[in-house]
Amino acid sequence: MSVLRIHPQPGRGTVSALSWFLFGAGAIAYFWVSGNRHRDNPDDRVMPTLSQMGQAFANAALKPAEDDEAAGADRRPISARLVRSMLWQDTLATGRRFLISLGLLFPAVLLGLHMGMFPYAGAFFLRFVLFFDKIVALSLLPILFIAFGIDELAKVMLIAIGVAPTIILDAFNLTRGVPREQIVKGFTLGAGDFSVTYRIVLKQIRPRVLNSIRLNLKAVMLFLFAGEMIASTDGLAYRIALLRRHMGMDTIIPYVLWVALLLFLVDLSIRLLNRKLHPWFQEA
Amino acid sequence: MAANQIAAANLADPPPFPPGPMIRIQDVSVQYGSSGTLKKILSGINLDIRPGEFVAVVGQTGCGKSTLLRLVLAEEMPGSGQVLVEGVVRIQPDRHCGYVPQKYSLFPDRTVLENITFGPEVTEIGWLGGLLPSRRARRREFQAEALGYLRRMGLRESDAAKYPQQLSGGMQQRVAIAQALIMRPRILLMDEAFSALDPGTRIGMQRLIKALWRETGSTILFVTHNPREAVILATRVIALGRPENSEEGAAVVLDITVPDTIDERMADALIRRVEESAYPHGFREGDAASAEV
Repeated sequence: MSVLRIHPQPGRGTVSALSWFLFGAGAIAYFWVSGNRHRDNPDDRVMPTLSQMGQAFANAALKPAEDDEAAGADRRPISARLVRSMLWQDTLATGRRFLISLGLLFPAVLLGLHMGMFPYAGAFFLRFVLFFDKIVALSLLPILFIAFGIDELAKVMLIAIGVAPTIILDAFNLTRGVPREQIVKGFTLGAGDFSVTYRIVLKQIRPRVLNSIRLNLKAVMLFLFAGEMIASTDGLAYRIALLRRHMGMDTIIPYVLWVALLLFLVDLSIRLLNRKLHPWFQEA
Repeated sequence: MAANQIAAANLADPPPFPPGPMIRIQDVSVQYGSSGTLKKILSGINLDIRPGEFVAVVGQTGCGKSTLLRLVLAEEMPGSGQVLVEGVVRIQPDRHCGYVPQKYSLFPDRTVLENITFGPEVTEIGWLGGLLPSRRARRREFQAEALGYLRRMGLRESDAAKYPQQLSGGMQQRVAIAQALIMRPRILLMDEAFSALDPGTRIGMQRLIKALWRETGSTILFVTHNPREAVILATRVIALGRPENSEEGAAVVLDITVPDTIDERMADALIRRVEESAYPHGFREGDAASAEV
């Protein structure tokens, strides 16, 4: 059977059909079970129907959060309703924290670069970063909330502590992976230590570092969600945690899909940016 | 581009060379590892290389040829003894020596033109210098000069916008040589620079480097495992080797001058001599097949 062989090259149509099959099968299975449950119990809240989820998502996208609801909100233009909506406000709150966290990863990249390039910096930081990398960041949550309070800082610190060591070590290893010949070549062409570091090595590792950040987006989101679920008054994870108390599956499921879509778009943007900024880079 | 054009490079002329050898290697030994696992690489190497010499270093794999080159480059420090380049002990690689390695010789993130102009730009223009109008003009001069080098290396101007990975191995090495030569180094170090090339390309590169050496008068230290290539190219051949079953590092086992004019018979005799010294257990003829006589 050719499906069990490694040599065959499936056609594009086959590849496309196979790659979408599990999505289709999953959706069909869900709605079939959901339909059965709703026939048995029309008030079932565990597996909402497509129309229930659509309605709940439309409400989230067009109506303000219940605690922010103002009289006459429905008469506003749709753009104003979108901006004030629960979904938009939650997305904005989570997005802001997410961007701050991503911004904090850039010093991590620079630290890894310097650790890889300058032996004294490597000797000074490496053992400490390796140790920190082994700490389960979520176990630090209570300490962070005690030390930094339950404001934004604690959540951002959680992400920094959770993801930064990985990024530092990735940048360190990528730096060490630049062939020695390139560094020597730089010196022989008149570059100094910092020129070699920034103009040769950083430029060469940049696309791989962006890839590394891209692959760690899920970890960033995981720590952010943990922080928001435990101590927050807004944000996508806060909303999901809040809706869980009311069994609001009709909103939770679209919210989960919305988060996945956002993460996919960020991932895609970074990939496109990487391709645009580094046309020479060929991904393995 | 003619010889005088190569000499008319834009970078400021280096200061006059002090009298004496260009490279002096004095009683140099190199060893790796600690007392239990000590491995001696080179033992008691003494060499004087004069300005303008084309020196080929040959020897078996692992005999320390590349280590010797790294010592001259100041990429590595000797365990004992000292290496003087232009009369000075250097502590890290600098622009006194041009360098063409076998692999990774070009920056993959830069186009061919950017690779060649990297040296002059980093030396003269600096970080933010590109923003100044006077420096922008200087950059254009470097680019024009780089294009001249590119043509001299047998590449087309349309190759200037390509990235290194879009070029063949031979073209990449041509660009690497141009990249090194634009800095007008008095010493050019080539570490098995042609080893990865196919025989035809290799012969073309040998002709090119010999012509460039005649034009520029640089001192070239050329590491190769190919005795035929060494004899054909160099004015002096140094063979490294170590006695059988010896714990000692490699030493200079042959140091011969190759006459300016050499016929086929004389070349064969010299090649045999180099082979017997550097490869006492026999040299595979296939390795030498790509050298031109």
